[in-house]
Amino acid sequence: MVPQPSPSRVPLPPPLAAGHLHEIHADADGWAAALGFVLAAVTGAQKPTAPPIVLVRAAKTRQGLQPCGAGWAQLGFDSRRLVIVETPDSLALLRAGLDAARCPGLAAVVLETWGPLPDYDLTASRRLVLAAERSGALVIVLRGDAPPRASAAQTRWRIASAPSIALAAQAPGHAALTATLQRQRGGASGLSWLLHRDGWQGGFHDKASLADVQPAPLSGAVVPFPALRAGETHRAA
Amino acid sequence: MKRTAPPDADLPFALVARVGQALRLAALEKDGASHGLAVGMTLADARARCPDLLTAPHDPVEDGKLLAALAGRMARFTPMVALDPPDGLVLDITGCAHLFGGEAALTRLAMAEAGLSARPALASHAAAARALARFERGQAGGEEGLRIRALPIAALELPEASLSGLRRAGLKQLGDLASRPMGSLAARFGEEAVAKLRAILGEAGSPITARTAAPPIRADIRFAEPIGRTQDVLEVAETLLEDTARQMEARRIGGRRFVLRLERADGALRHLAVETALPTRDAAPVVRLLRERLESLADPLDPGFGFDAMALAVPRHEPLAARQTSSETEDREEETIAALLDRLATRLGEDAILRLHPRDRHSPEKAQALVAAARGLPGATQAPALPRPLFLFDPPQEVSAIAGVPDGPPLRFTWRGRAHEVRLAEGPERIAPEWWRHALGHLPETPLLTRDYYRVEDGAGTRFWLFRHGLFEEQTHPRWYLHGLFS
Repeated sequence: MVPQPSPSRVPLPPPLAAGHLHEIHADADGWAAALGFVLAAVTGAQKPTAPPIVLVRAAKTRQGLQPCGAGWAQLGFDSRRLVIVETPDSLALLRAGLDAARCPGLAAVVLETWGPLPDYDLTASRRLVLAAERSGALVIVLRGDAPPRASAAQTRWRIASAPSIALAAQAPGHAALTATLQRQRGGASGLSWLLHRDGWQGGFHDKASLADVQPAPLSGAVVPFPALRAGETHRAA
Repeated sequence: MKRTAPPDADLPFALVARVGQALRLAALEKDGASHGLAVGMTLADARARCPDLLTAPHDPVEDGKLLAALAGRMARFTPMVALDPPDGLVLDITGCAHLFGGEAALTRLAMAEAGLSARPALASHAAAARALARFERGQAGGEEGLRIRALPIAALELPEASLSGLRRAGLKQLGDLASRPMGSLAARFGEEAVAKLRAILGEAGSPITARTAAPPIRADIRFAEPIGRTQDVLEVAETLLEDTARQMEARRIGGRRFVLRLERADGALRHLAVETALPTRDAAPVVRLLRERLESLADPLDPGFGFDAMALAVPRHEPLAARQTSSETEDREEETIAALLDRLATRLGEDAILRLHPRDRHSPEKAQALVAAARGLPGATQAPALPRPLFLFDPPQEVSAIAGVPDGPPLRFTWRGRAHEVRLAEGPERIAPEWWRHALGHLPETPLLTRDYYRVEDGAGTRFWLFRHGLFEEQTHPRWYLHGLFS
């Protein structure tokens, strides 16, 4: 039931590959959208004993934002996997992030940063890249309200929230966002996608491929089956 | 044992326990007998005799803990302290009494140390001391042998059938038994009666098993020449860690907290403490943590003229079975992640490494708590039926909002000086305040404010979680707050 994009369409965005460093830029309004984008990449590989995610953040965030376990659980992320590391300043944040990136066995290391972050230069990003390559961890630097800067990252994204497809009674629909691939090492860049969270498959898809996975319209007395997930068929029958 | 003073000191006080189908008195306060009460009486009888009897449930486990703590305190009088179940202690004061000014003085001191109402007895061996402490009536005095012979036969602590058999035979005191041939007693009342009697009379030994505290795990080293370089200090620490690892391996424990004591040549002392999340006996990770601790010190380690002695102690340890070196990658990964968190905790402080613990609370902001990772693993968060945001504002941020109808969602709101037009809205999800947690929360005169939560999306597509604080019945001008951001 994975939607197969037709050749005429722009393919889905490349996944955030493990073993690499990715930068995600977002402003304050798109902050939750950016985190949703990251979670979609991380929850994709669900294992029975899922490895933890380390979220490194400044102890005094400018926003006063706390992760909400219930909301993460609704996106299919087990909050038991989350380890939050609070650091006093940006240098300690980068050091803790580097240590975590060097540790094998983590699902992802997410560095939550705000502002220009002068300590995060080419050398610092190169260190993170080397650490990620050696440990095979997915390393993501979330950069809030920051101008793009030259770095050794594999990809650089800009995420902003986008108007969703309204549900019944003018209710906000599933999460939607625009993802702009600003830079990709050894690949095409400058592409942009409007992605909608798939309510029953998880993950983000573009609107056209979302249409592919809608249940087929009923014809006569035929029971529609595509809305059933594998494994639930016998229960429904 | 009476642990807390009853509310009214004049009223009798007792602990009750369920024995079979009845509640019976398990313990009485000192003057309980003057009210006609006795241990073992049913609670109904006790209430009939003494209507204002105060009772509390008997907790044998807590009693056991108190007794163990008391035994620990008695170690100041003698190293040989043994528990004498159910509620006694035996102290072997051989060779100790003169240090406290004689046996009588030592007894007085021990009673004061205990701080409870207790009965002391001194005897030449443990079984006699137990019998005298528990069963001697009236003033203690006279020669020990005579006092023991005057004890009632209940001191043998035999089953009631044997005791009544003895009583029927006209034997009321231990002296009556002691003067008879043991063989016939054993034939009639069993081996046990004779063994007990011989122990109390001192004809058979009654050894005690003294509580022994496990020796602390530590290692120390002295240098002929003081050392000053940090690298040398860490290398010596590794040697000490290997030494403690051998001690811990023999006892099948692993250290959770390691304290390194550095003694400088001029007498100054310095302590370095590190903790690990998992018990460990490996030297290398602990040395890494010590190095991390040294680097993160606010005032760096000043060797002065050098350290001339070092000691390593492991004050906190947990069971850790002997283990073969595991080749399973998962085990190793778990260990490396634990080592990473230890390292970060050493550098940034234990409270900087947090995990989300779900809480069974009604308010969204209280339904979770950030708890230091060292305090244990969290439980699973259940995904609620109604939508919850990815991020919560702590505290919620006040916004100015305009609603179309009084009870409806906002039409537009201003947050941080920027106006947001609401395009789509869903709600309300009405979340009542936790009135059961407030002293007067259930009274209509002191209402707590109900929250109406709305999920709204503005024109740019940002999805917010807003709430109106208070219904219109509760407040004339309810305020609006922004509580979260959806993806």
